[in-house]
Amino acid sequence: MNQNSPSAGWKSVVLRYETLLLAVLVVEWFFFYHYGTTVNRKGVVVGFGTLDRQFDILRHSCEIGLLALALTPVILTAGIDLSVGSLLGLCAIIFGKLWREGGLELPLAAVLTLLAGALAGGLNAGLITRLRLPPLIVTLGTYSLFRGLAEALTHGAVTYTDFPAEFLFFGQERWLGLPTQAWLFLLAAIAVWVLVHRTTFGRSFRAIGFSPEGARYAGLPVGHRTGLVYVLAGLIAALAALIYTARLGQAKADAGTGYELFAITAVVLGGTSIFGGRGSVSGTLLGVAAIAVLKNGLACLPVVIRMNAAEEMSGMFTGALLLLALAGSILPNILSTLRLRPQAG
Amino acid sequence: MKSPALPLCIVLGLLAAGLAPVHAADAKLVITMMPKAKGNAYFISCKAGADKAAKELGVELLFDGPTDSNAAKQNEIVENWITLGVDVITVAAENKEGISTALRKAQKQGIKVLTYDADALADARSFFVNQATPQGIAYGLLDEAARLMGGEGEFAIITATLTAGNQREWLKYMDTYLPQKYPKMKLVAVRPSDDLKDKAQSEATALMSANPNLKLLMAICTPGTPGAAEAVKQAGKTGKVNVIGLGLPNENKRYVHEGVTESVMLWNTEDLGYLTVYAAAALAKDELKAGATSFKAGKLGAFEIKGDNILLGKPYIFNRANIDRFDF
Repeated sequence: MNQNSPSAGWKSVVLRYETLLLAVLVVEWFFFYHYGTTVNRKGVVVGFGTLDRQFDILRHSCEIGLLALALTPVILTAGIDLSVGSLLGLCAIIFGKLWREGGLELPLAAVLTLLAGALAGGLNAGLITRLRLPPLIVTLGTYSLFRGLAEALTHGAVTYTDFPAEFLFFGQERWLGLPTQAWLFLLAAIAVWVLVHRTTFGRSFRAIGFSPEGARYAGLPVGHRTGLVYVLAGLIAALAALIYTARLGQAKADAGTGYELFAITAVVLGGTSIFGGRGSVSGTLLGVAAIAVLKNGLACLPVVIRMNAAEEMSGMFTGALLLLALAGSILPNILSTLRLRPQAG
Repeated sequence: MKSPALPLCIVLGLLAAGLAPVHAADAKLVITMMPKAKGNAYFISCKAGADKAAKELGVELLFDGPTDSNAAKQNEIVENWITLGVDVITVAAENKEGISTALRKAQKQGIKVLTYDADALADARSFFVNQATPQGIAYGLLDEAARLMGGEGEFAIITATLTAGNQREWLKYMDTYLPQKYPKMKLVAVRPSDDLKDKAQSEATALMSANPNLKLLMAICTPGTPGAAEAVKQAGKTGKVNVIGLGLPNENKRYVHEGVTESVMLWNTEDLGYLTVYAAAALAKDELKAGATSFKAGKLGAFEIKGDNILLGKPYIFNRANIDRFDF
């Protein structure tokens, strides 16, 4: 860093990808606040600018947000995990089955589900690190495998419902002012952030992503650490499954279909390079927020509402946003050049 | 680089978006309607009826749903409608329990809730617009069969699976109705098709060779009707063995025009949409209350209410004269 120049410190904060993303997010939020808030027939303020809507955004982004958190370390090591959405579905079914058919207490069923998630992540890890298979292919396989298992376990027809209120509390109620699951999400976010950014252990993910060979020469146990990120991803996917089940009050084999793609979108949008080595947890969180605000905000715009096309529009705009981010994946490079460039301009 | 574009962008963005006063909405009643899946022809024709009703009533109709049958997305859309402060939410529930949490939340916020086509839990909605009662379907099919058979002779039924809940119930009503009303008609067999067209076809072929005097095949699941028709056509028994059943017009048009299938029965989905919107508007205006026994829906006239079910009434019969008018 060019610490000699007086404006370098200031520049290094402003000219960061995360700052840019935050700015986009803020503009996006105000845009929807302005155009998406109305007063209804009864004179009540409705739409985007209500507290309820903000809580909805939080609640809707928890599961995809967790998966994005799970994927951040994975992508940092230049890997990918396409199976997290399917694993969410499988874990939801395992949880429902253990509780309803196995007759287990809910806390025990939840713990076993988390274990099952970690185990499924371990399967990915084993195939990737032991057999040296490409993560894309391995997790494409387990993507089908996990979903297929979930469907087979329920014959595609059984839906587990009637969960007790104490469990639904985690997905439908508020605790200390915020939706309960938001606290769990926050906890997971802090844990992943500490792991990735504040431990030497986690910093090695980026080293591995930059150059696995280099990391190996540097004496890092590359296989072991790479494996760990997939186990962690499985564990977090299981947590997302529990929250999903609590939010909807049902566990069904189609839970989380397509979520992996939203999660990858959020991670990449958050500035993490799909080639590994560069990225941050804070970026991922901003990416998740940008997508969630976009999706919910669009659903509040009168134009979109009258077209009855909120889902399609949010799909389109999210896609466009990702392409923009991918095309702009050179942006962090440009910004860092700007940041490091000596005074003049 | 003294003044980077970024902070400027933020400032401009804030100014543009600003905190200016929000828009005032027009005072129209807002009624929402959610299908199980937006692209499903069945629901598109529901929407056609709903649009008609909305126009007559001068209400605003929002029609939105998942692009695929997805219970989680249904919940998210309901939650969206809640914060949009709509007046009535009507839903064809993909999953009974799943949707009910969201619907109860809507009710808590003073939004009226109706279900149509597929019900939610009873405490999560005020009324269910019931497209056809089991009795209506059973009697309707038997009456049509009797008309074609002249009230006597052998017929066979192709069902979904032998354990399917809906079909069991219809068969139960037929069992009691048949000997009372049409004692000369004989039901020779009830065969399962597993809701597959091929299986229905092979079962129909087997039924025809085992029962040479068979006058009519009745399919009580939608894939069964075209399957049975194909079997009759291939066996060269068009005109000798008649086919009727539950079915979507589009799947059966060909056979109806070829004279293989006499008629298919289903409720008129356009009327279902029309009635749902009328009931929703009445609910919002407090004209429709718990305990009502009948309800008048515009041009369609009065409908019976049983408990908290608004009954669409008798199933609709599609035959050569009218089947081309329907596209679902």
